[in-house]
Amino acid sequence: MRVGIEVGGTFTDLVVVDTHGVRTAKVPSTPARPDEGAMHAIEAAGLDPAAIEELVHGSTVATNAVLERKGAKVCLFVTRGTRDLLLLQRHDRGSIYDLHYRKPEPVVARRDTFEIDERLSADGVVISALDEKAAEVLVKKMLANGEYQAAAICFLHSYTDPSHEQALARIIRAAAPAMTVSCSSDVTREFREYERASTTTLAAYVQPVIAGYVTRFSDALAARGFKGRFSIMQSNGGRMPAEAMARNAIAALFSGPAAGVIGAVRSVAGAGYSNLITLDMGGTSTDVSLIADGQLELAAMTKIDGLPVKTPVVDIVTVGAGGGSIAWADDGGLLRVGPRSAGATPGPACYGRGGEVPTVTDAHLIRGTLRSDTFLGGKMTVDGEASQRVFSTLADQFGLSLEEIADSAIRLADANIVRAIQQVSTERGRDPRDYVLVPFGGAGPLHAARVAEDLNIDTVVVPPNAGVLSASGLLLSDHVHYRTRTRRRRVTDATIGDIRATVAELQEEARDYLASLDIEAGTDFDRVLEMRYVGQAFEVSVALGDLDLNALGADDLSGLFAEAHRRIFEFAKAHGDPVEVVSFRVGAKAPPPEVPASPALLSKPASPAGRRTRLVERGEVLDAALLARDGLGDAALSGPALIEDGSATIYVPPGWAATLDAEGNVILKRES
Amino acid sequence: MAVSPVDQAVITRALIAAADEMGVKLIRSAHSPVVREAQDCSAAIMDRKGRVVAQADLIPIQLGSVTHTFRACLEHHPLETLEEGDFLINNDPYAGGQHLPDIFLFSPIFLDNVLIGVTATVVHHIDLGGGAPGLNPNAGDVHEEGITFPPSRYSVERDWKGGPFERLVRANVRMPEATIGDINAQFAANSVGGERLKDLCRKFSVDTVFAAMDEMLDYSERRVRAAIAAAPDGTYTGEAWLDDDGRGDEPVPVRANLTIDGEAISVDFTGTAAQVRTNMNSPFASTVSSAIACIKAVLTDPDIPFNEGAERAITVTAPYGSILNPKPPAPVRARLLPSYRVVNSVMNALAKAVPDRVIAPGFDTTTVSCLSHRGEDGYNIYLEIFGGGFGAGPDNDGCDAVDSMLSNCSNIPIEAMESDYPFFRVEDYSLRSDSGGAGRQRGGMGFQRIYRVLAENVTFATYGDRFRIAPEGVFGGSPGAKAETFVERGGQKIPLASKQQFTLQPDDRLVVRTGGGGGFGPPSDRAAALMETDEADGFTGNTGS
Repeated sequence: MRVGIEVGGTFTDLVVVDTHGVRTAKVPSTPARPDEGAMHAIEAAGLDPAAIEELVHGSTVATNAVLERKGAKVCLFVTRGTRDLLLLQRHDRGSIYDLHYRKPEPVVARRDTFEIDERLSADGVVISALDEKAAEVLVKKMLANGEYQAAAICFLHSYTDPSHEQALARIIRAAAPAMTVSCSSDVTREFREYERASTTTLAAYVQPVIAGYVTRFSDALAARGFKGRFSIMQSNGGRMPAEAMARNAIAALFSGPAAGVIGAVRSVAGAGYSNLITLDMGGTSTDVSLIADGQLELAAMTKIDGLPVKTPVVDIVTVGAGGGSIAWADDGGLLRVGPRSAGATPGPACYGRGGEVPTVTDAHLIRGTLRSDTFLGGKMTVDGEASQRVFSTLADQFGLSLEEIADSAIRLADANIVRAIQQVSTERGRDPRDYVLVPFGGAGPLHAARVAEDLNIDTVVVPPNAGVLSASGLLLSDHVHYRTRTRRRRVTDATIGDIRATVAELQEEARDYLASLDIEAGTDFDRVLEMRYVGQAFEVSVALGDLDLNALGADDLSGLFAEAHRRIFEFAKAHGDPVEVVSFRVGAKAPPPEVPASPALLSKPASPAGRRTRLVERGEVLDAALLARDGLGDAALSGPALIEDGSATIYVPPGWAATLDAEGNVILKRES
Repeated sequence: MAVSPVDQAVITRALIAAADEMGVKLIRSAHSPVVREAQDCSAAIMDRKGRVVAQADLIPIQLGSVTHTFRACLEHHPLETLEEGDFLINNDPYAGGQHLPDIFLFSPIFLDNVLIGVTATVVHHIDLGGGAPGLNPNAGDVHEEGITFPPSRYSVERDWKGGPFERLVRANVRMPEATIGDINAQFAANSVGGERLKDLCRKFSVDTVFAAMDEMLDYSERRVRAAIAAAPDGTYTGEAWLDDDGRGDEPVPVRANLTIDGEAISVDFTGTAAQVRTNMNSPFASTVSSAIACIKAVLTDPDIPFNEGAERAITVTAPYGSILNPKPPAPVRARLLPSYRVVNSVMNALAKAVPDRVIAPGFDTTTVSCLSHRGEDGYNIYLEIFGGGFGAGPDNDGCDAVDSMLSNCSNIPIEAMESDYPFFRVEDYSLRSDSGGAGRQRGGMGFQRIYRVLAENVTFATYGDRFRIAPEGVFGGSPGAKAETFVERGGQKIPLASKQQFTLQPDDRLVVRTGGGGGFGPPSDRAAALMETDEADGFTGNTGS
């Protein structure tokens, strides 16, 4: 029996796959102790922990520890002269006309930052050796009162040679064997000291929290007889055994969105789709990402609470357009939607929990694209009159009818999502027409067809049970481990051997690491070189795909780079202009023990087929078919239609047609 | 024609997004650290009449100038004469420009042979010749500061791409690869913006996009006028001083006479000092941009898109021949120094009208740190822009160690610097304790950077201010710390002036310290908990820095 449990902000979702098929459960989350919610989900599904062979878990524990500032008390050691690294940051302002601007607050205070005498040059030469004696004295003194739970070390140029960091780590471990020590050269061995120090301190900050959580959860499982394999989702879309994650917590910082994307990729793979744009629309925001050839795109850096994190993370763009996003008119008379949101509480006005502002969900109720009697599969009662009341002021202001203003608000939310998709597609030289749109989350399938139209995408694939896609993504994910390294090399015939050797070295390190956890990696590695023209400061990711490393020549590599550069920036320099590799990222992967058939997570029909409903869209009153997912037959159903599918509603606009495929996906196609 | 509310909103956001994308791609594909790390550049989209409708929020001072530099181009090359494949260029401080390094590049965009708009980028280029690499603090006129490209039209195919104009540029600059690379990045960003504009016109029709652009200008104008109308009418004066003119030691006054009249504001700088011999003259376009940037920051919502419509309610005048509207050929390289006193004097005047909306004066100075090395393989020029502490606000401490208001440059990571400029090493980069002015809210702290020189033939060039006159605190707050620069050579301390050039020797330690911001409210009103934190973190309670 294989079980995936995803702990979200509101709900904890569970998916179980065994010989009897696939079942799901949904229970309220317990934010203070997320593992209890997870345990409730196991109980609610009636599972015997002793029968679970494999448990995969995703949670927002690490994210919340940072957002709520409930991480460990960390001390930071830096090279003398760089004590204020975390406070100086990058010297720019996030908002240029804000007179009251404040920088994002680091997780380590200045009083907890200590300078060490040591120095390397940019090419790794020791300018001054680590003063071990002085370091020992300092470490003993500052650890004396037991105030710190974790230590972070970030020395200048340690990406060229980690030995000074390692020597200090030994000194700290000798003085405080129980303390977690994070070296920047282990966490992210890449240049740019502020970003590396920020990542390292965040790693140290969440480490004890995650370690404690994983231990508590494992113990509770063991006490109930669980003897199976326990693994945890990482930000990169792969999983890791729990005991390893307890040592590398930073890798789990963004596990939630990653699991959803993996779920989408694997759910539609069986139907033959490998070029997709995912659209996860929830209550407050929408996440989009682009997948080419079934491969997740990873971003080398992201931010949490304004602080940079340099670990590979599934490349997701988020916009403030969700069901709770607020429609409003600004003081210049422009209609706006978001980024402010009514969230889950008070939520949209129709929830009747005190929400008094018009939201996207209210707009759907007015248009008739959501229906009050079947909201969330009929599990929730909503007040459609409240929606009309809160939209009436806005309607008067623009001289529009209620239905027109509601339609305008939804179209603006669509436009916000379209722009997010353009950021991951056109702005990176990818043509959206080559992709299918895969919506999930509560509101995604409602908006997907119109969003697709704006991007000239002609196919939308709605996977079955889009509401628990993250939990099924957990079960479908590979074991993955990434190694990164900054090693600047100009690409020439003389250096290509060295470049190949670095890739090979990282492949071996990543594979060996998985082996140390009893996981056998496959032979295909994810290999990405961060490259640029000599003189540039920002790198372009160049994926090596399945190229044979030994056959890789300097010209081939420069050519791959020029192509990637042209795709993004619309120009490439003349052939022969010098190109350099700045850093390397290599991931080893092991697929799930047996690749399960795409779980046919068919839901129960929420309403009998064959009914009609009235809705208003783009100025037209439509008489739309109303049915459940399994009400779809072999013949294509032309829009307008609403397909109510448990926790999600699929809207099929006029000009689109829906079919159900053998895998349980609803396929929307644009009719020519 | 009337555009529906939803089309209007979609086109507005799409144009702003396109300008942002131009900015991001410009930065990421550029070569000079001053663009790619410090992000000293801007991008804009103009309508078919050459009016700026959308800009990337990058460098406030450059944004206001896009219109003025383009107007000057149009005087020689009217819109109806432009053809596909043309570009226009201008860096002339006396034809709407800022200082010479800021090259404005314009690409007219056509769809089916109809001009639908113009995309524009401006980049601070690392070296455009002149009397010294990167920066010539001793220039006596604009000609000694580098090469001027007067407003002119060229063809990309014929004149760039190895053509005569590219060769002219290449022959007149010290780091041709970086300069040509950066101009190519400008062309590429302009073309990205052009593609987005064309897509939008194809989708919504040219007429709808034109009408939506007109409305974008009216929209920003309406919002700015509404904000001005909320401030009390009257005439208010404000003053600020520069330390000196870079040679003597007499303070140089800047005086703003600001009139709020209904929904309009006018600012006149009569009473401001005459232009000076040194490079501290602010071309009129810089003066206008600075005054507008300050008014916008104090009175309006940061969310108002900055375009030409936003400027309609604000009139700026300055006497010809003054430091804020100099006559050619006065040198202008350090124009941001007087520009910041424009901000301070306007803020000082606004404090009398809307005291609850202003902040204390900050360090408000651009300190340029330029180190150049002439080695076997030619020049290698490092240039970085330093801010300092922001002034405190009524409810917040001033931001520490951040770029000043008219600019928004990032620092260059030490690890990037040391691999690109092997002729020096950074020994210290830290906050200056006790440099923020005390107050109920503390001024932001300045910082210091210490460089160890590792080679022969290294020259330091700089300009800065607030070596003599500190930023005042307001409503009982204390002033922020002043700036200083010196060289440590064999146990000896050699003080440097705020504007000068200095030849360094191997093993010299060059120390650059920027100042803090003024405090807000009496220090005795500061919350005890904040004082304890400041002390525990060593931000206060130390002697010296």
